[in-house]
Amino acid sequence: MAKREVGEINAGSMADIAFLLLIFFLVTTTMEVDAGIGRQLPLKIDYVGPPPPPINKRNVLEILANSKDELLVEGKPTQVDELYDIVMDFYTVNKNRPDVDKNMPNYQQVTIPKCETEIAALQKLVEQYPDNKQYASELEKWKEKLKLCQSFPTNSYSEIHKSAVIQLKNQAGTTYGLYMEVQNILKQVVNELRVEACEQMDYPDYFELREDREEDQLYISNLRILVPERIIESKIDR
Amino acid sequence: MSKFKKGGKKSIPGVNTSALPDIIFMLLFFFMVATTMKEVDLKVDITKPVADQALPIENKDQVDFIYIGYPIDAEEGTEPRIQLDDRLATDATQVGDWKESKGREGVSPLDIVTSLKVDKEVGMRIVSDVKEELRDIDALKINYSADQTK
Repeated sequence: MAKREVGEINAGSMADIAFLLLIFFLVTTTMEVDAGIGRQLPLKIDYVGPPPPPINKRNVLEILANSKDELLVEGKPTQVDELYDIVMDFYTVNKNRPDVDKNMPNYQQVTIPKCETEIAALQKLVEQYPDNKQYASELEKWKEKLKLCQSFPTNSYSEIHKSAVIQLKNQAGTTYGLYMEVQNILKQVVNELRVEACEQMDYPDYFELREDREEDQLYISNLRILVPERIIESKIDR
Repeated sequence: MSKFKKGGKKSIPGVNTSALPDIIFMLLFFFMVATTMKEVDLKVDITKPVADQALPIENKDQVDFIYIGYPIDAEEGTEPRIQLDDRLATDATQVGDWKESKGREGVSPLDIVTSLKVDKEVGMRIVSDVKEELRDIDALKINYSADQTK
């Protein structure tokens, strides 16, 4: 039989096919990486039960971003780049010695007996008002605090005053850009303090902790107790 | 005349293009690896704010996005609007129902993070309304989308 020559396949249109695919991917995809600041919104509560004790003014840091995009901290006009130091002071100025700054919250010592009395009191309230989700979540918090106490050799630790909060107020015309600058600074302070706490307690790197990993959950809940991120945002009036 | 010019007319050989597909495929694979699929066509204009504390969202499938910005289409008006999936919502009250319909297999919609992609020029009222809606249905995990660097 005569040897038949196999003809070469014409690959000239291969480039066209590849171009087509390339253009398809160029059009349907994006390069950007999604990043953001994570937050937990506060629970919606229909308050039932005894009225809460009045909050001392020094424990509240009021940050108002008004419609003209001006920042007022405790009523005083403030520049955005001054805010970092103020928030840092709020967390740390009275940490080692009380009343260094009388307008900022003091620290409190948390001990095992204190945790136990709080838990007992809250358990009664939870039984009395089972609908109030706030009591239930506070009870959980104190149980975690008790565990944290027990993990220290001194059986106690100090934490920022339990009613210390940052109150973030906006107005209808406040731009989202300014709001995010404020949020960014609050996050920066908390992150730095938590990184510090991680080093003191011999925890793994804070930014490597993942909430969905079981072995990290205790670290995260402890860090949330030691450096709490309590932000109240009030609704914008219509 | 010339020493090197021999003979008459000589045709130039065609450029060998057989390596062209390989080059294009290489480009193709680069783009396939380096990019991600667009989730939706944006109907609002969004310039995200910058926040150096922003952390990358790792599992994009487990996040719902709400877009808020000024509409690109002039017929939709000049007020900031909310985009849910592929359509513009008339107002914030639709956010609750939309979010509740976004459950995934085995995951309650309330456990899924809601990422707010908001233009930095938008006023806080509309953002506040959306957050109130999410609070009403107990979808408390949110994420403020931002660029990490300028």
